[in-house]
Parts: sequence; structure tokens; C-alpha cells
Amino acid sequence: MGMIGRVRSQTADASKFVVDWMEHRTGIVTLTEHFLYEPVPKRGAWLYTLGSATLFLITLQFLTGILLLFYYVPSIEDAWNSVYYIQEEAYFGALIRGIHYWSANFLLAVIGLHMAQVFFSGGYKAPRELNWVVGVILLLLVIVLAFTGYLLRWDQDGFWASVVGMKIGSYTPFVGGATIHFLLGGDVVGPATLSRFFALHVWLLPAALAPFIGIHLYLLRRHGVFGSEFEYTERLAKLHENQRLEEYARYELDEGEEEYEDGENGYGDDYGDRGDYEDRRS
Amino acid sequence: MAELQKDPITRSDFIGFTVFGGLIGAALTIPPIAFLLHPVIDVDVLGETDVDQEYQEVGPISEVPADEPVVFNVDFPIRQIYGDEEIQDLSGQGEGSGTTLTNAVWLSWRTETDEDGHAGESFRPEWLDETTEGLTPEQISEAEENLNILSNSCAHLGCPVRWVLIEGEGEFLCPCHGGIYDINGGYVAGPPPRDMYRYVDYEVRENGRLYIRHEYDAGSEYPENGPQQPYVV
Repeated sequence: MGMIGRVRSQTADASKFVVDWMEHRTGIVTLTEHFLYEPVPKRGAWLYTLGSATLFLITLQFLTGILLLFYYVPSIEDAWNSVYYIQEEAYFGALIRGIHYWSANFLLAVIGLHMAQVFFSGGYKAPRELNWVVGVILLLLVIVLAFTGYLLRWDQDGFWASVVGMKIGSYTPFVGGATIHFLLGGDVVGPATLSRFFALHVWLLPAALAPFIGIHLYLLRRHGVFGSEFEYTERLAKLHENQRLEEYARYELDEGEEEYEDGENGYGDDYGDRGDYEDRRS
Repeated sequence: MAELQKDPITRSDFIGFTVFGGLIGAALTIPPIAFLLHPVIDVDVLGETDVDQEYQEVGPISEVPADEPVVFNVDFPIRQIYGDEEIQDLSGQGEGSGTTLTNAVWLSWRTETDEDGHAGESFRPEWLDETTEGLTPEQISEAEENLNILSNSCAHLGCPVRWVLIEGEGEFLCPCHGGIYDINGGYVAGPPPRDMYRYVDYEVRENGRLYIRHEYDAGSEYPENGPQQPYVV
């Protein structure tokens, strides 16, 4: 064994030691394996990456959002100027803000695709209904995040889009006015409005988003993605069992027919063959 | 039942727990909720507004021609989270440099219109061509009767409407969803449920200028709506 081989085996030993040490004390290796690896069906496997894509884009939002906070000033005098500074003067500012802006746009599109995939594959059915509900909560949170982020630029575009959005909300029966006054921080758009949108966009909604993402992932791991091999095996077994029972019932029925040839209720309680029965009677 | 209670609670204990728990619960929940809902309580319960209720100058009414509306920007001072006036003055951020809410106000003279919104005769007072200042009380009341003082905030969803000319005829058009109003602000077409918002509190003064307060009306067709809520702008 040459020198390179010796180094290689020593490194392998050392890393194995570190990994074992961590595993023994935290169980992190098993957790990571459990978290990262998930059996998915071969057919349409790429569609199962839409959820991960959503998570990736949300992570990007968190990271670039934290970066933007180092320059953004949430006051009506300075908001637009600070965004302009980020965009024009801060090193890579246009890139960071561009990623925040575009990944927010893509996020909504990818969420739409993700929902469509779950909807059309029937992945929301038992026992995964709650995960659909949690997913809808996440969707609503992301929509409100997008809405509140729009105003923070404090330009004409964001300003009027927010005015229109709040007018739409004001049509809500009973609570419309109060909700809008809560968002406005008064009865007209002003400095309080920007502060409130900032607080919602930067603190409240991301803080609310995080635990729901955790629940979403936990429920996903608990039940696995819909259509996993395991599930198919189980369902196929159930299907075969049903077919076997059906055949067995039919066999019993045939025997019964001979026995009760001139009887009235030779078909017993078997609903499966009720159709046949009625055909023959008519 | 009684034997099921491993740890029996007396009546006085129960009262004590309820009262104590209620107090603790109230102390934990009321301050943050009231803190957040302060503006809602001010506006919806106490009926207060952030907008200064002084009259603000719009502009000289003689600048408004007979067949076309003119837009004026009016700045209403507002007080929102930036604190007491006295403190603002002391810190050099008083009324003069304070925050304002800008409203674009469309002025036009009442004009006869047919059902499709085609404009007819205008009620612009003829004396305006010679007299622009020093109006008599009669002239003031004639001007006040015939002025349309309209908010540019569309009655549908609040986008800013503007005056456009199509084949020589003018109309107010909303850029968002295509709501159309005539020169009096009357509804012609599109999604808006009603006429344009009108400022209800206004006065023409001797100097020939119009002054308004920040208060829209619900329009003659929908008197039951009261002043528009919420304003937003």
C-alpha cells in the first residue's frame, strides 16, 4: 500500500469516527437520511421535485430578504431612496434584490404547479387531507407576503397596487373596514401603513410561515409522497384480495342458484351481483 | 360524581381560580391586542380620522373651462404615528414639514348630459370670464351650485381615473378595469357600482378660489352608504 492509499484510509477512518461520534450523540445522521431520502415512483418522478422547488425558493426569499434588510429603511421619506440605493449603488444590490423579486414571482408559479400536481394525482386524499389544509395555509401566507412586499418599495406601482388590493379587501362583509384600517394604521395611507406592512412582511408572516413549513414536511414524511412503491404494493394486495373475495362469492352464488332454483331469494345478500339478478328477472 | 373527583375543588377555590385566571388572561392578551388594534379602535369605534380637518385650497375656479375638467393636487396634512404636534415642532418636523396625503381633485362645471354621457350645455357662469376675484355672495353660491368636485379615486377599486379624449369627446376613464364616467362624474360604463366620489365639504371664497375638506360623499344614488368608508386615500 502506497502513501496515498494510507492517507486515504486514514481520512476515511477519521471521518467515520466524526460521523459515528455525532450520530451517537445527536442521531443526526439517521435524521438526515430520514429527512433527505424518500422513495418516489419512477413514473413522473420529476413532478415530485415541485415541493422541493417551492422550499428552495422560500429559502431564497429568507436569505435575500435578510440581506436586503441591511440597507432598506422603512419610512416614507427613505423607503424609495433606500431601494434605489440597493438597486444602483450597493455591490451586487441589483442581483440580490433581483433574486428576491424574481424568486417571489416564480414562487407563486411553482406553488401553483405543486398544487396542480397534488390535485391531479389525488395526493390530497386520506390520510393526507391535513397536509393539503396546511399547504393552503402556506399558500395564503405567501400571497399576503407578496401583497405586503409590494408596498415596501413605496413607488407609484406598489402604492396603487396596494390601494387597489385594500379596496378589494374592503368589500369583505362586516370586517372589511376594520381589516383595512388595521392594515392602514388609520383611515388613509400614510407612514403607519408602511410601518405595518413592513412589520407584517419582515416579522409576522415569515415567523408564521416557518412552523407551517415544518408541519408540512413532518406530515409529508409521516405518510410519504402519494404513489410511493410501498403504497402501490399495499393497494395492489388489497385489490387482489377484493377480486379473490368477489370470485369466491360468485362461486358460492353459482352453487346457490342450483340449490334454490325455484326459490325466491336464491341470491341472498350479495349486492355485487344485484345487477345480474335484476337482468334475469326482467 | 363526587367519588370521581380525586382532587375536589371547593366553590371558593373555583371562584378564585376563575377570577385569577381571568385576570392573568386579560393581562396577557388585552395589551398586545389593543396595541395592534389602536387605529381600528380610533377609526371604527371613536370615529376619528388621521386627516387634518382644516379647509385646504384647491385652486382658482376660473381656470376650469366649460367643456373640460381640470385636475388639482391637494395636500391634506395627516397625523399618523409621527406623534404629538408639539413634539414634531420641537424636533423640527412640525406641520410645515409634516406628512401629507395628496389627493388629485377633478373640477368641472355641471353640464347637461344625455343617457350615453354625451355632453350638452355647460352651466359655467359667464361672469367668470371677467371676474376672477372679489366675488359677490350671489356669484359664490352660483359657482358652488354648479361645480363638480370629484375624487380621482375610482368608485370601483380606487385606481386614479383621468380625462381622456376619444374622437373629440371626453370621458373619465379608469386605467385598471375601464370604468367610464361623464364630465359630471356620473357613471357611464364599466365595473364601478356608482358615480365618482364627490367632496361634500367645500366652499368658494371671495378670492375666487375653491377650498375643500377631506370628505367624500356616497353619491346621490346610494345615500344609505354615508361617507365612503374606508377612504384609503
